[in-house]
Amino acid sequence: MLRQLRERFGGPLAVAILSLLGFWLILMVTLPQLQMIDYSLRPNLLPAQQGGPEDGWTLANYATLFANDIHRSIFFKTLWSSVLVTLLTLAVSYPLGWYLAKVATPRQAALCILLLIIPFWINEILRTYSWFIILSFSGPLNEVLMMLGLIDRPIRFLSGDGGVLIGMVYAYILFMVFPVYNAIESLDDNQVRAARDLGAGTIRTHWRIVIPHAKPGIATGCIMTFMLAAGSYAVPSLLGSPGSRWFTQIIYNWFFEGGNWNQGAAYAFLLLVLCIGFMSLVMKIFKVGLGDIAK
Amino acid sequence: MDGSVRLEEVVMRFGDFTAIEKTSLTIGSGEFFSFLGPSGCGKTTLLNMISGFLTPSEGQVLIGGEAMGKVSVNRRPTAMIFQNLALFPLMTVFENIEFGLEVRGVDKRTRREASERLLALVALEGSGPKMVTELSGGQKQRVAIARALAVEPRVLLLDEPLSALDLKLRQHMRAELKAIQRKTGITFIYITHDQGEALTMSDRVAVMSAGRIQQVADPMTLYRSPATGFVAAFVGENNRIRATVIDAEGERVRLDAGSLGELAGRAVGEPRLHNGDSAVLFVRPEHLRPVGEDVSGPRFQATIEAVHFEGAWVMLETRLEAFGELLRVQLGHEVSRQYTDALAVGQRMAFGYDPADAVVLPDDGSPMVDEATGEMVETEQRTKRAGDSHA
Repeated sequence: MLRQLRERFGGPLAVAILSLLGFWLILMVTLPQLQMIDYSLRPNLLPAQQGGPEDGWTLANYATLFANDIHRSIFFKTLWSSVLVTLLTLAVSYPLGWYLAKVATPRQAALCILLLIIPFWINEILRTYSWFIILSFSGPLNEVLMMLGLIDRPIRFLSGDGGVLIGMVYAYILFMVFPVYNAIESLDDNQVRAARDLGAGTIRTHWRIVIPHAKPGIATGCIMTFMLAAGSYAVPSLLGSPGSRWFTQIIYNWFFEGGNWNQGAAYAFLLLVLCIGFMSLVMKIFKVGLGDIAK
Repeated sequence: MDGSVRLEEVVMRFGDFTAIEKTSLTIGSGEFFSFLGPSGCGKTTLLNMISGFLTPSEGQVLIGGEAMGKVSVNRRPTAMIFQNLALFPLMTVFENIEFGLEVRGVDKRTRREASERLLALVALEGSGPKMVTELSGGQKQRVAIARALAVEPRVLLLDEPLSALDLKLRQHMRAELKAIQRKTGITFIYITHDQGEALTMSDRVAVMSAGRIQQVADPMTLYRSPATGFVAAFVGENNRIRATVIDAEGERVRLDAGSLGELAGRAVGEPRLHNGDSAVLFVRPEHLRPVGEDVSGPRFQATIEAVHFEGAWVMLETRLEAFGELLRVQLGHEVSRQYTDALAVGQRMAFGYDPADAVVLPDDGSPMVDEATGEMVETEQRTKRAGDSHA
């Protein structure tokens, strides 16, 4: 790598680039992570006791999750809800990606993408607050539904998981739309035409031709959406509490309310393991490798 | 099984651009029919109307006597072979061929039997389990044919399917396509800008230009008796000489070509020529031969500008002395050997022809071959557009 860089940029610049990369990878990524692993494996002690006889590596912090029923159920609920968010986002994004890539004229597609991106110029918390307003008990959504006569009394969107799901689908839709759109775009139109010509209907054409082709894009979108959903803090705390708690909120509590960084670090690592597990599972299901996703 | 195709006064417009002028045509069941024309002439648009990818702005398409107006692409008794073949790259050869049967709910065993049979037909036995990406160009071509035949279409539509192959393979596939068509008895509708393909394979050819069918005829008639100046210039090679009709009685027409003197040719088609009309005489390069001073009849005095040895024949580019225009002369093996010494740049020679071989058509001011590029220049310059995007 050094040789390639040196051929391209010359010696001093190549060394500079590599040392920056090394600095970033080691100092900013690896060391803090190692520090957190170290934290997670030590008991939470007063400063005076650190280094004393009680200090030492233990798995106790990890065991806490399995001993605590509430935390464990929130952990699995976070997993399940994140899967749900991912599936919902995919269900919304796939038709959108198809429309943008194959149906819309370039003008329509550009306009549509612009409309999708504009809200993301605003901070995530503000966007989530706007959903808080829309979904609130006496908010505009309930008003409209009542006016249309679809419901008799307002619905409490914000007490359960419904609000969280809506908010997350909205917050992470771009991370799904763009990979799916890119993947579908690269499909040769004649493939679709050939399938139609050979007698395939719309659903069959998508199932046998478009989706298999778009698989790497769909996998990328699913992994990103799942990670963001599982690691989300703002959306569940604004749109979900108190009826719907997210595992990230518990981690936050350990760090900043319980003051137990060791316990928090252990929980954070469990969430990380969960995400990596999900990612490997998705890659296995879709039969794609890391290389396909990086494309 | 009626595989006839009828176009009834179809018109295709894209916005205010008319891609297909009002066209009516009947293609017989079991016929090998070609649409021949330069890119942008509307031939692909016609094909897409038959397959159902485009709905005509006016008129209707009938297949086997049945109106196709309400029948969508996936329910038409047609199958298409695409220019880029459009094989499914993520599937094996078997899966590709069986796709059409799979969507029709045919069980796996019957499907496999059908695909084995088709692989035998296209001489690809044993390639079924391979991925299509592992195949060579010619093999892919065969898989595309098998895939289209698998759905037992009444009409097979072929959109320049041989254009991606190299010359030898292309010639081989021509013969093979023709053989498959004879064996299956399916109507083949073939789109091409390559006249060699159209002439060698087809029962009948429709020559198209600027959204209009210029002539529908069997290949030999097309070559010998072109109905319009466009056909004369596009099919095969032709020298064009502008002249005025001085005697149009009977089939043989006498012409006054000004400084070239009196010429003669054969009148074909409608409308009839009248004395005093301006007309164009078409003389094919292979119909010209060197003549001595003593021979009577029409003759061209010219100077050789280039000699191209093509193996089986010699092509001369000569400049007409009186006219200053280019005259191409093709000399067969025998003749060129006889004149070996005379065939040199700068030599003056006289060329004659049999008036029965030369065609006289009214001067419609239409197509010219651009001397610099060798490309056809159409009457109306047409732009690239949706629906007929093949270059």
